[in-house]
Amino acid sequence: MKFWKNILFFLSVMGPGIITANIDNDASGITTYSVAGARFGYGLLWTLLPTTVALIVIQEMIARMGVVTGKGLSDLIREHFGVKTTFFMMLGLLIANFGNTVANLAGWAASMEILGLSRFIMVPVGAVGIWILVTRGSYRSVEKLLLIACLLYFGYVVSGLMARPDWGPVTKALVVPEIRWDSEYIMLSIAIIGTTITPWMQFYLQSSIAEKGIKKEQYKASRLDVIIGCSITDIISFFIIVTCGALLFPQGIRINEASEAALALKPLAGEYAYLIFSLSLANASLLGAIIVPLATAYYICEAMGWEAGINKTFREAPQFMWIYTLTIAFASMVILIPGAPLVFLMVLSAVVNGLLLPFVLIYALILVNNRKLMGEYTNPKAYNYISWATVATIIILTSFLVVSAFMPLKS
Amino acid sequence: MPFFGEVFSSEIIRKTVLDPRGEDLGRVKDLSVVKGDPLPRISALIVERKKKTYRLDWNDLNIFNKRIISSKLYHNEIKPYEMPEDDLLILRDILDKQIVDANGAKVVRVNDIKLEGYNNEAVLIAVDVGMRGILRRLGIERSGEDIAKLFKQSLPYNLISWDYLQPLAPKLTEISLTVPRQMLSELHPADIADIISSVSQKDGANFFSNLDVETAAEALSELKPEMQADIINAMDTEKAADIIEEMAPDEAADVLSDLSTERAKEILEHIEKEEAEDIQELLGHEEDTAGGLMTTDFLSFPPDMTVQEASQRFRAEAREAENVYYIYIVDKDEKLRGIVSLRELLLAENDCYLADIMETNLKYVAPGEDEMMVAGIISKYNLLALPVVDENHYMHGIITVDDIIDILLPPSAKKKRRGV
Repeated sequence: MKFWKNILFFLSVMGPGIITANIDNDASGITTYSVAGARFGYGLLWTLLPTTVALIVIQEMIARMGVVTGKGLSDLIREHFGVKTTFFMMLGLLIANFGNTVANLAGWAASMEILGLSRFIMVPVGAVGIWILVTRGSYRSVEKLLLIACLLYFGYVVSGLMARPDWGPVTKALVVPEIRWDSEYIMLSIAIIGTTITPWMQFYLQSSIAEKGIKKEQYKASRLDVIIGCSITDIISFFIIVTCGALLFPQGIRINEASEAALALKPLAGEYAYLIFSLSLANASLLGAIIVPLATAYYICEAMGWEAGINKTFREAPQFMWIYTLTIAFASMVILIPGAPLVFLMVLSAVVNGLLLPFVLIYALILVNNRKLMGEYTNPKAYNYISWATVATIIILTSFLVVSAFMPLKS
Repeated sequence: MPFFGEVFSSEIIRKTVLDPRGEDLGRVKDLSVVKGDPLPRISALIVERKKKTYRLDWNDLNIFNKRIISSKLYHNEIKPYEMPEDDLLILRDILDKQIVDANGAKVVRVNDIKLEGYNNEAVLIAVDVGMRGILRRLGIERSGEDIAKLFKQSLPYNLISWDYLQPLAPKLTEISLTVPRQMLSELHPADIADIISSVSQKDGANFFSNLDVETAAEALSELKPEMQADIINAMDTEKAADIIEEMAPDEAADVLSDLSTERAKEILEHIEKEEAEDIQELLGHEEDTAGGLMTTDFLSFPPDMTVQEASQRFRAEAREAENVYYIYIVDKDEKLRGIVSLRELLLAENDCYLADIMETNLKYVAPGEDEMMVAGIISKYNLLALPVVDENHYMHGIITVDDIIDILLPPSAKKKRRGV
């Protein structure tokens, strides 16, 4: 009886951690894992374990802040660091997330094209579809759709099992770290961390926990939600790498895009693997394209004190509606106009993300250790060492990514 | 120190303060505020000099305006200041925080604060919640104006007078005025519920505790069940009991049913006996049945009463009753005999007996009836309220149409929190 009571209790709190972590595997994440698997086989699998740990350490603190303060991260940053800091952070978030939206819509376009549908039809259809869903639909229907879409990620697990990898080497590659002094290898391993731990998801997680109104007494269940969510993300990543590593790597097939992985799988693993890969990519891209612009509009409006909400009209919440609408509109245009600076935008987005992340993480650490704010829920001393070390490592690694964007490594 | 005109707090912060010889005394780090009549006023400037903070009292100032701030004291005469938690400081405690605009019935963020001269003091006259405030804080208000001009627009001044503000943080409550309290009770309870749902739990509970009992009772019934429980749990038992007692019995029972058994019992013990018994009875019913939906608060008159007597009794009782459109005719054994509508009562001759004009073909439900069934009957017969009667014709209560409307409406039409 007690067991079932605990399960029921957990289900009531569950959600934010799992949804956030799933959406984290958006188009750029899937691309990174596919490329990593095809290029180095199982060679980069080991990076997943430390990445998962780092992700859990950070998400746990963010979740704790959401539970204890009942406020979003952008609220807290505005209230403690003032308008200037917040303004530049939100500007950065807007630019980075515009890039993320472009990446997601590009993923959507590519997945539709390999299924034989023209991007000039499918991108406008997708963009208008998500715009209508959010501006004309109710929050409940949106949430239900998102939860169903999260289940579709398990397509990657199926394709990974269908690839029939040799589990011995896979397990070994997962637990035994292997460091190669190859610039591409190092860049890809950093990219895996960069795509897993992003600035916007910290804001998203804390807001959704605050909004759910989870109480301090329920915090343990919320922590479990975060841990499960982070693990699921990396299990999905694991299967993407394994699929590409088992099928594409031995053939020496190099890819640059997630959609190329789907195409390359067709002759090797048959129609199903190809369909799973392209549909999962379409799903992940569209999910990202809904959430990223929506989340951006929310944090900016919250921090600036503007009205926000998906059931509001342009007249009631002008800033919110315009940020959301223009992000989607411009992002679709970038994809549809031939010769638009797509690559430049991707690099810019990665750079801004990389520049933003240290600030977000450091501010989060300062806030989580603020006794006035967190009371007895500040980091314990030992935990502080772990979290500062994690944050420092992530910052060093992502700054490599930023530097390399300006000065590409020669191999 | 005389001060005329107006100035924004952001134009003062970080400005250099001069001593009587015109030498640098330090920079303004913050402004200390105290309660004043009629508006809160600046009591001192907090000055930073060589990484140390000092307090410069308002009376020790010589000039105070947008361009120059100078003091009557030299640097060796100013008092060190540790920025204690108890003091209220503009930058630390007010700027960037959320506050309730009681006039517009919404939560806003303080971008800047406008000070104005009044009786030689600088008083807090308004808060800036608009784009101008943000631009001014960023130091680019002028450029913003220029850009707006390019688009043939003007930047609106979005100021909210201090009179209309209701703080969320307990600290700010100290300097808030008596005026907002009246403003608050004039707010529609549904607006108050909206405000509470759009801020954090702690702030919401705080805001709620500032309401008078009557407004609080009305606002509480508009909130979502989980939030009701949170707010009641955060309150001391006395106050919680006062609010619950003010609510209609069915709504009170709904709130109590979401609390832990001990807490509910504790609160019930503080409520007047008769009222508590009503609530207790309602608590015994399943939430989604007729018994769980009903209220015990209805007008019941005996059949042998004349219309004249009934009208007098109506005037005496109707003010407190939830539903006044139906009068239930109940005999000495509390069995339901008939219903007289308000229309019939008003149109009938004064010397008629209620038994003669009452409707006896009654629609009613049993306490155990499912809520969907109840909704169906109310909708089919276009009723404003439906009596709940058991097999012995004993009258338990009524279900009013507003209790059932949430079941009839599709989920998307109900109130919900903002959400990503």
